[in-house]
Amino acid sequence: MPRLGYRQERKQRPEDPLRREGDETDEGGPKRPDVEQPNRQRLLKRMRQVDKDQAKRYRQRTGQ
Amino acid sequence: MRICGIETEYGCLIESERVAREFSPDTLSILVKDHLFYANDVGLLDVQYRDRGEPPRNGGFLYNGGRLYIDMGHLEYASPECLSLRDLIAYERAADFLLLQALEDLGIRDDVTFVRNNIDHVTGATFGYHENYLVSRDVPFEYYMVPALMPFLVTRQIYAGAGRVGFHEEDEYDEDYRRRRRVATRVTDEVPYQISQRSDHIVADQYEWVQFTRAIINTRDEPLADVSRFRRIHLLLGDTNMSEYATMLKLGTTMVVLQLLEEGCPMPPISLVDPVMTLRDISRDNTCAWPVDLDTGRTTSAIEVQGAYLAVAERYLEGSSQEVDWVLTEWRATLEALAGDPMELKDRLDWVAKKWLLETFMEEEDLTWHDPWLQSLDLDYHKIDPERSLYSDLVEENMMQRVVRNAAISEAMFAPPPDTRALGRSLIMQRLAQANLVRQVDWDTVHLETGVAVSMTDPHRTYENVAARIDEVLRREPTQAVEQRDDR
Repeated sequence: MPRLGYRQERKQRPEDPLRREGDETDEGGPKRPDVEQPNRQRLLKRMRQVDKDQAKRYRQRTGQ
Repeated sequence: MRICGIETEYGCLIESERVAREFSPDTLSILVKDHLFYANDVGLLDVQYRDRGEPPRNGGFLYNGGRLYIDMGHLEYASPECLSLRDLIAYERAADFLLLQALEDLGIRDDVTFVRNNIDHVTGATFGYHENYLVSRDVPFEYYMVPALMPFLVTRQIYAGAGRVGFHEEDEYDEDYRRRRRVATRVTDEVPYQISQRSDHIVADQYEWVQFTRAIINTRDEPLADVSRFRRIHLLLGDTNMSEYATMLKLGTTMVVLQLLEEGCPMPPISLVDPVMTLRDISRDNTCAWPVDLDTGRTTSAIEVQGAYLAVAERYLEGSSQEVDWVLTEWRATLEALAGDPMELKDRLDWVAKKWLLETFMEEEDLTWHDPWLQSLDLDYHKIDPERSLYSDLVEENMMQRVVRNAAISEAMFAPPPDTRALGRSLIMQRLAQANLVRQVDWDTVHLETGVAVSMTDPHRTYENVAARIDEVLRREPTQAVEQRDDR
């Protein structure tokens, strides 16, 4: 059954905002990750860049 | 498999001084919501009060069939009614795409991040992720469905938990102000990390309301459909998962158990001594033994409880659909891995992936769980922006399984599911927008300015024919309800 109901005259049609260079998830289905060869150093580098105090600034209202 | 919808309350983190000087998280949520409706034309804002706390333009329905609104300061998204698990995941994540696009348009994507988690570590606040499952009204609720669901829901967190650093303690009573005061996350050697974000905040086994006395099973009876035929099971104990796989397993196993109940299958004879304390204790048990005390005096484990439900499902539902078979296969594989080495699941389950990340970092940097940096890394995992999310880094490194494509999520930003009531709602909304007619849209009704009400009380029907006849409907006499029976 075809999907119906797009608004053709939408003022802005965002591109995929999650897409990054080298993102190939659109090209295939679910993939088993290559957990045998994790890029551990790259993840560690990324974690070192996280602001140590950002959790202190994250103050939310209680919701439901 | 079953009509289901998800509600997500987003956290908001302001990352730059520039924006922090001008805005609060509350005002930014409103700014983003207004941008999406006024500039990006994603749906129709409410024109009347929906409730005391929902004034006109506080939110509205989206052309994808879902709803976006402000609730208690949080930007909240309710997905459209979906029938398949993959649709549910795509429509749940569609809101991430919408919010990111709004931040990009407003030029503040580097300054602000929305967050898909359920706690902050400073104030003790919690906010939700709500699951809504449509079930038959014929299934007795209080004396059959509630007790049969309880052990399953209490133990489901062993694969559905999102993981958190530390724990939340009971609010303190402030004598000076004579009121309860929420307290910050604590980290101890006994509970450095736990598997669920919400478990510490669930304080009742069943209750009608959704704040302050949050329950494992919410008993509010508001089907948003034909009340004589349907009931909406509303669950608020679950975490907001980042992992699509964990989300799909959480929702899929719950749907399977509801199907067993509807079909009258013999359920496992399991009753817990104290569901609320068991929920908390399982979450905090870093040994992964997860003991569960039963009413019979016997002690079993969360894995065995889940295995008992799985065994019934395999016996009665195996082969009933591809989706059910996916759930049963993955459910078994997950329980087997949890019984062996849970860390094998770091490519699928959030609490495992996050724990692995944090422990790897602690080892490298010679930190302990008491270091506040760990709480910031915990938060970082849940950001929706892939440029600054640890979860997205795992995806980028091909270390986390995905179950939907980005193209499907992009499509779900605007197009409704093709096989539920959301389709009719969306089509009617588009016609009304083109005709520039004032209207009040709701889940099961659209009120036109002529006084005509279009009734859509069966979420399984698409109401396409009603939508196609909307011009005729608009010409009818006021106060005439319209519903068509043969439009599927």
